[in-house]
Amino acid sequence: MRREPIDPSGLEWSRVSPKYLRVRVIGWLIGSLVWLVLASIPLVLRLLEIWESFPPVWLAWGLPAVVLVLSAWRGLLLPRQVASIGYAERDDDLLVRQGVFFQRTLVVPYGRMQYVDVAVGPLERAYGICTLKLHTAAPATNAFIPGLPAEEGTRLREQLSARGEARLAGL
Amino acid sequence: MTLANGPSGTPPPPAPDGVAGAGADAWQRVHVISPLVRGWIVLVAILYFVGRDWFEGLFSAETRGRGPLPEGVGVLVAGGVLLAVVLLVAGAFLVSWYFTRYQVTAEHVRVHSGVVFRQQRQARLDRVQAIDIVQPFLARIFGLAELKFEVADAGESAVRLAFLKLDDARKLRATILARAAGVDADPDHPEEVVEAPEREVVAIPPGRVIGAAVLSGMTVALVVAAVVVVTLGVVFETPIIATSFIPILIGVVGGYWSALNTGYNFRAATSPDGIRMRYGLLDTRAQTVPPGRVQALSIVQPPLWRFKGWYRVTVNVAGYGASVSSEGQARATLLPVGTRDEVLQTLALVLPDPGTPRPVEVFAAGMAGRDGGEGFVTTPRRARWLAPLAWRRNGFAVTGTALLLRSGVLWRQLVVVPHERTQSLSLHQGPVDRRFGVSDLQLQTTPGPVSARVFLADSDTAWQLFHGQAARAAEARRRSGPEQWMKPVPVAAPPAGAAVDLPVGVPGGGPVPPSHAPGPGDGGGGSAAQGGAGVRSGDGGGLSGRSDAVPSTPGARLPGTPETPATLGAPGTQQLPGTPEALPAPGTPEPAGTPKPVETSGTAPGPVREVMPDVPRYVPAPSPSEEPADGRR
Repeated sequence: MRREPIDPSGLEWSRVSPKYLRVRVIGWLIGSLVWLVLASIPLVLRLLEIWESFPPVWLAWGLPAVVLVLSAWRGLLLPRQVASIGYAERDDDLLVRQGVFFQRTLVVPYGRMQYVDVAVGPLERAYGICTLKLHTAAPATNAFIPGLPAEEGTRLREQLSARGEARLAGL
Repeated sequence: MTLANGPSGTPPPPAPDGVAGAGADAWQRVHVISPLVRGWIVLVAILYFVGRDWFEGLFSAETRGRGPLPEGVGVLVAGGVLLAVVLLVAGAFLVSWYFTRYQVTAEHVRVHSGVVFRQQRQARLDRVQAIDIVQPFLARIFGLAELKFEVADAGESAVRLAFLKLDDARKLRATILARAAGVDADPDHPEEVVEAPEREVVAIPPGRVIGAAVLSGMTVALVVAAVVVVTLGVVFETPIIATSFIPILIGVVGGYWSALNTGYNFRAATSPDGIRMRYGLLDTRAQTVPPGRVQALSIVQPPLWRFKGWYRVTVNVAGYGASVSSEGQARATLLPVGTRDEVLQTLALVLPDPGTPRPVEVFAAGMAGRDGGEGFVTTPRRARWLAPLAWRRNGFAVTGTALLLRSGVLWRQLVVVPHERTQSLSLHQGPVDRRFGVSDLQLQTTPGPVSARVFLADSDTAWQLFHGQAARAAEARRRSGPEQWMKPVPVAAPPAGAAVDLPVGVPGGGPVPPSHAPGPGDGGGGSAAQGGAGVRSGDGGGLSGRSDAVPSTPGARLPGTPETPATLGAPGTQQLPGTPEALPAPGTPEPAGTPKPVETSGTAPGPVREVMPDVPRYVPAPSPSEEPADGRR
């Protein structure tokens, strides 16, 4: 299934858990709320007339409005962003893709993996998912797969380690 | 080891894997005066501050006529304090020196250090990425040198031995390199390791280093700054503004000095231990980069150097890391300023097998050319507005052994990444790129000054390159030599089928499957062996029928691979998996004993480390008319 222009054809992408969307939505709600509160401070101060003239009214209203619009836009993108995350295990390497507008497809040969991290945050733990990160000798590799179900994360970690060992190459 | 073990000074018992009796295996200390050489700045600083205070106090006491103590006693007290401080510092250095010991065994180098907080460090010899012998100016006066053993930890030296006698440092380097290379020690004289012979390949005259500095961007900045300052001074009639020129001048002079100091007397040589570089005016440095340790290489030409036809070659070596200091930059420089021929010569050291029958032409096209030709695929014309100047130059070419990435119009750049050194690849596409049907391809390599990116390639082409490169990298890794680059490989080469799935380069130095076994010519997997006409250095007689350890056909290994991407329009140098390839003819020049340890046929032992290496060299292809039609675009 070739979903996106730079996706390889004939590859079955494994998609991440739908729970990851919920985690992202919660994170997005919290983040948006914080930003909105911060951006509303001048407006509140202005309305309470503690600040008398400095931020013009349009600016005081405009700031939270802009934050709101950006947050809404990000929120609208979230489902597509999560849906765009995918990974595919091949015989020799692991493919990871992500991004809606700015797409990225990454291939990491198993033999190049130096170590594999599995990280779980509090929110992720509540939903039973985890984030897997691969490290190669190149710090720029930056390969991570978020939103894996816990058992899939464990399986993948073991699988990757085993394959990495079997195909180990130095540098 | 704990602190309790300290003052007695008994050397710790030999390590379990230490080879008993061998000279270099004993625990040793660095040279006794090295604490002084390392700490001379501290000493000078203490002397300066203490001495100044005392001196000033002397004068003030005289002028005011009321010294706290009688004259002679004051001097005595000051002298005593000074002496005590110096002794204390010297004592601290001495104690730290005493507790620092090192040992080189058959497989490891170990360093124990620290007095209160003890540290024991052990590094595997075959993980060596580079060895430097550094002589700071003061150490040079004493005939001492510092030895740095680099592993792939991005810049920090795994082992720093400061300071040793220069001869000892050289011997130690030879020992480490011989053991890291997997050379079996002479059983009769295990401690006698001769230094591998080296042959000078490139020497840069000092005049050119100065010229290169003068023609660098620093001069342009200086001129621009001068114009601005003078203009401002004249317009606003404030000559005082000229003083703002002083810091700029200091910075530029510092830059010139650093370029001269690190480029002076630059020499590159080839030896069985790898590439060796020596340079330096006051501080001198000799770097050794063993074979196969260069992760990526870039050839850059700043705009003003174009008049002289000069280039600079920098490399990513895992041990050197990405340092922004002038020392770090100098270490990552393989050729500070060189002509095209010298650049090609340097390239031949790094990449003895260019993987193309026309190495000179291909690399020249990469360094200075534009548009297609010699296998380069450039940004499609429809995307020219995304890079109005560079679109004809942005491009890539694939040879049998490396990926060539070309970019830059003013600052011309050619990046060369050997296939087996590819860490990971990523394909990027933003919305504007998508509109024009182009994408970027990024190759991640170890930290360093070289960044490998294909800009604005046609999307389909980029995808095929992405996919093909992943396969080529996997393929090249299977074939690449062992980390111990001179390890004699098992004698009888198993048939091609038997080598399947054997991991290459097993940690622990286990038996390594032959990298080039003279198996039946399996044309299906021998994708990278095309065109042996350039340089086939030590390639076992140009044999390319190799036990490729391909578990299955490339098509099955890589589901969904476009098998023969004919759109990559450069049949001469494009080698993609699954392309059935006729076996190449044996290469024309056949230097023996080059660093690549691939002489594996029959009962032949590993390459001999003591033999003077031949210099791998790229030879220009014969005149174009003799070339087969598919030899170029």
